[in-house]
Amino acid sequence: MSDFFAKIIELFSTPEYIDSLLHGFLLTLEISFFAIIVGFTLGTVIALVETAKPSKWLTIPKFICRIYTTVIRGTPMALQLFIMFFIIFAIRDFPELITAILAFGFNSAAYTSEIIRGGILSVDKGQTEAGLALGLKNSTIFFKIVAPQAIKNIIPALGNEIITVIKETAIVSMVGMYDLNMAAKDIGSGHNLASYIVPMFTAALFYLATIYLITFLVGRLEKRLRKSDLME
Amino acid sequence: MAEILRIRNLRKTFGDNKVLKGIDFSLSQGEKVVVLGPSGSGKSTFLRCINRIEEPTSGEIYLHNILVTDKNITKIRQKVGMVFQHFNLIKNLTVTENLILAPVKLKLLSEPEALKKAYKLLKHIGLLSKKDAYPASLSGGQKQRIAIIRAMMMNPEILLFDEPTSALDPESIGDVLELIHEVADQGMTIIIVTHEMNFAKEIASRIVFIDEGKIIEEGTPKVFFNNPQTPRVQEFLKKVL
Repeated sequence: MSDFFAKIIELFSTPEYIDSLLHGFLLTLEISFFAIIVGFTLGTVIALVETAKPSKWLTIPKFICRIYTTVIRGTPMALQLFIMFFIIFAIRDFPELITAILAFGFNSAAYTSEIIRGGILSVDKGQTEAGLALGLKNSTIFFKIVAPQAIKNIIPALGNEIITVIKETAIVSMVGMYDLNMAAKDIGSGHNLASYIVPMFTAALFYLATIYLITFLVGRLEKRLRKSDLME
Repeated sequence: MAEILRIRNLRKTFGDNKVLKGIDFSLSQGEKVVVLGPSGSGKSTFLRCINRIEEPTSGEIYLHNILVTDKNITKIRQKVGMVFQHFNLIKNLTVTENLILAPVKLKLLSEPEALKKAYKLLKHIGLLSKKDAYPASLSGGQKQRIAIIRAMMMNPEILLFDEPTSALDPESIGDVLELIHEVADQGMTIIIVTHEMNFAKEIASRIVFIDEGKIIEEGTPKVFFNNPQTPRVQEFLKKVL
């Protein structure tokens, strides 16, 4: 037991260890943050294409979107990461941070598009019909009526997706990137089993705190958006 | 009287299901047409095809002798108001925002003008106190009366009512019918699909009976209810009256 406490003290009193953990944590946050932005942007575009009224010039884009989401959702994230690192962006000196962001962003886009598509489709058809009957343009109907109602349905699932991305970035250690997960392993390695415990649990706490904060913020946002459902 | 609306050979098919099988119809200024018929006869579809909320499979619709096309449909819809069975107030907007959204967005009124008109109409129906409420906090009858004045905000030439009282509790049906009656008395041209026979008798200048996607019989309420010409209408009236 005293050994355990000694390890805790060792971790928090060794600047290199703290530095490694913080560096790893920062990389995790960087990849997650930008991947979520890429995923949301691309996911929104895909969802809009998929929910748009079928027309001649949308047939091919709709088909491409379908293939894209099917392939991304049907293959492991780790494999997609490998393909990005060792095939698509296997260019000398190409920044690996960008490769990682794109790998997770492209993956998240497929899931985000499904979330947004579901949110848009869940808006009562009568709401669109009311807008049409008033002579409003499709864009006005979308931005003033459909989108605000869809967002309310989307937020909880989108919160889950953000959490998933943050945790999933831990696999970048598989391509040798030094994220929070990798830092924990690195600090612990080379010693006995007990030396793993402290850095790994510390990393776990970092993840947990981040995700707890996001859950809290999403909950707050949900509450605010639900105000039109409440009485008066 | 001047003809406002003319419909020629309107057909609508859902998959293999032929809902409208060639409807010819004409509407004059100030007429109050009540569309009757059994459930599934196509009367709601007919109404929804008039402003192309439902896309007709074939046929022509003329408003003031102008053919309705993809290009002019949004303009046409501004002149043809619609009141739905399920009210369809915009859930994320307050009552006032529901009323002024279209007239302001379409630049028919400035925002102060629209607000003034909205408050006047709300006051008239006794719901001014609800001006900042969201639809979720209103009763069905309140929602439908607001939906009616929302359509009135646009100064429409024709108002379409799609079973406006079918989703209401018995108590609020009276309020809504009274408001429709008042709108009708002001000279509005109206087409209404309803199951309220007594109201139909009272308000209609013409009854149109649709069954299996076709107009079977039309005429004044007097002739329609007292001396129906076709066996199908005779049978229908025997059941509902």
